[in-house]
Amino acid sequence: MMKKFLKQIGFLALPLLVVACLLEVLIRNIPNDYSLKKNYLDKNAAHIETLILGSSHSFYGLDPTFFSSKTFNGSHISQSLKYDLEILKKYENDLKNLTAIVLPISYFSLSEKLENGIESWRVKNYKIYYEIRTSNAYTDCSEVLSVKLSKNLYRLFLFYINKHSPITCNHLGWGFNYKSENALDLIESGKKAAQRHRASQYQNTFDENVAVLNNLVEWSSERNVSLILFTPPAFESYQKHLDKKQLNATVEIAQEKALAYENCSYLNLLDDSRFKANDYYDADHLSEIGAKKLSLLIDKQIPNLK
Amino acid sequence: MLFNSLDFAIFLPVCFFIYWFLTHKNLRFQNLSIVVSSYFFYACWDWRFLSLILFSTLVDYTVGIGLEKETNKSKRAALLWTSICVNLGFLGFFKYHNFFLENFSSAFSLFGSEIKTTSLDIILPVGISFYTFQTLSYTLDVYKRKLQPTKDFISFAAFVCFFPQLVAGPIERATNLLPQFTKKRNFDYEKAVDGMRQILWGLFKKIVIADNCAQYANLIFNNSTDYSGSTLVLGALFFTFQIYGDFSGYSDIAIGTSRLFGFHLKQNFAFPYFSRDVAEFWRRWHISLSTWFRDYLYIPLGGSRGNKWQKIRNTFLVFCISGFWHGANWTFVIWGFLNACYFLPLLLKNNNRRHLDTVAQGNLLPSLKEFFSILITFGLTVFAWIFFRAENTSHAFQYIAEITSTSLFEIPKFEGMRNAVTTLFLTFLFVLIEWNGRAGQYGIQHMLLRWKKPMRTAFYFTIIIGILLAGGKEQNFIYFQF
Repeated sequence: MMKKFLKQIGFLALPLLVVACLLEVLIRNIPNDYSLKKNYLDKNAAHIETLILGSSHSFYGLDPTFFSSKTFNGSHISQSLKYDLEILKKYENDLKNLTAIVLPISYFSLSEKLENGIESWRVKNYKIYYEIRTSNAYTDCSEVLSVKLSKNLYRLFLFYINKHSPITCNHLGWGFNYKSENALDLIESGKKAAQRHRASQYQNTFDENVAVLNNLVEWSSERNVSLILFTPPAFESYQKHLDKKQLNATVEIAQEKALAYENCSYLNLLDDSRFKANDYYDADHLSEIGAKKLSLLIDKQIPNLK
Repeated sequence: MLFNSLDFAIFLPVCFFIYWFLTHKNLRFQNLSIVVSSYFFYACWDWRFLSLILFSTLVDYTVGIGLEKETNKSKRAALLWTSICVNLGFLGFFKYHNFFLENFSSAFSLFGSEIKTTSLDIILPVGISFYTFQTLSYTLDVYKRKLQPTKDFISFAAFVCFFPQLVAGPIERATNLLPQFTKKRNFDYEKAVDGMRQILWGLFKKIVIADNCAQYANLIFNNSTDYSGSTLVLGALFFTFQIYGDFSGYSDIAIGTSRLFGFHLKQNFAFPYFSRDVAEFWRRWHISLSTWFRDYLYIPLGGSRGNKWQKIRNTFLVFCISGFWHGANWTFVIWGFLNACYFLPLLLKNNNRRHLDTVAQGNLLPSLKEFFSILITFGLTVFAWIFFRAENTSHAFQYIAEITSTSLFEIPKFEGMRNAVTTLFLTFLFVLIEWNGRAGQYGIQHMLLRWKKPMRTAFYFTIIIGILLAGGKEQNFIYFQF
């Protein structure tokens, strides 16, 4: 009887397992930003002089094309400091020519973590594609286990049938999707983004992120690498709705690091008047026009430190 | 570890394998494997509270043996009260401490005297209301000499912590479950297959119906001031199906899982939304809790015997306490009170046992009278759920006030309305399947028994694919918080 029962269960489970494995293989073969960045770093880490890390603010806001040194943008949407540090650690032996790291310290950088936000589904990308052990959840080892079936089927449809590439960055890692011609309503997006970035569980996450930032500063200091911290520009509708306490605490930490470490500098561009409405895609992200402006501005900071 | 998680999908087969293959069908080892698996299962929530379960187990085991040996009435009563105080003491402290403190403070401030209170940051141990009531049923039955206490500590520990029903019931009676731990259990193919079907249906209810409805219920209840009366009605309907899918789905998974291990748990939900009056509803909704209150509170209070006023007192007491059992919030008490108001006229007119059979038994559709009776009972239930779901009493009254305004006649509108239509369609299909299977223990039981194997297999795959494709965002089981 038990044999019969196990046979029946096997009969039901086996096709599901086969389909799941097939899906996993097919999805993993779809190129994506993370695998593209990992492949670039695997091949070119030794030549990189400036490495950009951080969240969407640097992913869309810093285009390596406008940097005078050999630059790569290793940032991605909601990439929190822990992931920046893990990327550095993974390639520390390969980044032989690294002279500068550019890292945004945005309003939310110290009060949010990728794991806790609405973008937490991206955690698996670091485990699967970057091969970085950032989470203990076994579901993060698999596309099938971590993403809903309907979404995975849609991804397969888009890539294999519609021939649509899911890549959203160029070969140097800059996110090109935020085009000025598609810019969003700056007033509405500013209010929404500020609300979204307001920390709910402030203190614990803040302390954890400060500890990671300390490690990042130490890491660059030990290797005599310049660390350029900057708070990216944002439209006034975003600035207006920010929580002053959260903002000040974040800025103070960045200033502290710049004062304490010789290799570290900090630039607060949050309300920089050089950035106008047409530089933005939405209230807290730059379009390709703003990205050029910011990239040239940050690039100027690098020789100052050398 | 949620029943609808991958963790559980790994945990269950491992337990099954250990239970049937590694214990060599030795009863003592089987029970021991249940205790170890259950403690591990509970430790996945919070290992610190394992000590509470262990302590409750030790106290009730000792009290049980003491009650059997003791013949002196007052000493027996003292033993019983020890068990009641320990169990309800834990429950009171973890669940109701802050509630009483805040309410005492508010009551004093009404008379102009301020008393300073400090609320404690207490975590509610998951499932405490369930296992507390289960162990209490043991001591009460032993006290009444309805049950012989067990001397086998492992069996008793397994009865208290049996993982399928540990965190959200059904609240099993010692008279039903405990003897099953002391009898040899053999694997029964039919029972196991039926158990698997019930698990599958439970998962469908939870993941497809409850979790999808939860998204809209949460959206509408959490932003109720932004919506019209008609949207709020829709929100209440979503919650009505969320709580049913969630809790009855959990019960189905629990009962089905128990069957895999050779246990029989009692039915906890019997298609309550097809009830023709509120009395029938309460015979069909959360049956294990309703019967617990009936046997250990309502009947000892005198039940429906005695004069009119005693009947009224007993009814209100039982419903309000049952409401309060759900949570330390006045909204639950009002929910219980409302149900008492619904129930009382039936009791006073001796109409509370009119509908003991299955509605429209043997017929495809209900009669017009039955249909309207079901509709009215359903409407009353939906109304009461507003209090159950609301954050506090003022939220509930504000919600109802908006429903009773002219905006009730506007077209419902909220974010994600398009997707909500799909959820409504799925819920409608679900109601049809449940109606079709209302004579069984769970919605698809009879239907599948009538079908041939290829049809059944196709149905299993359809349900599995449905769960994987149409499942909503993972939500905690509502009853875990109680």
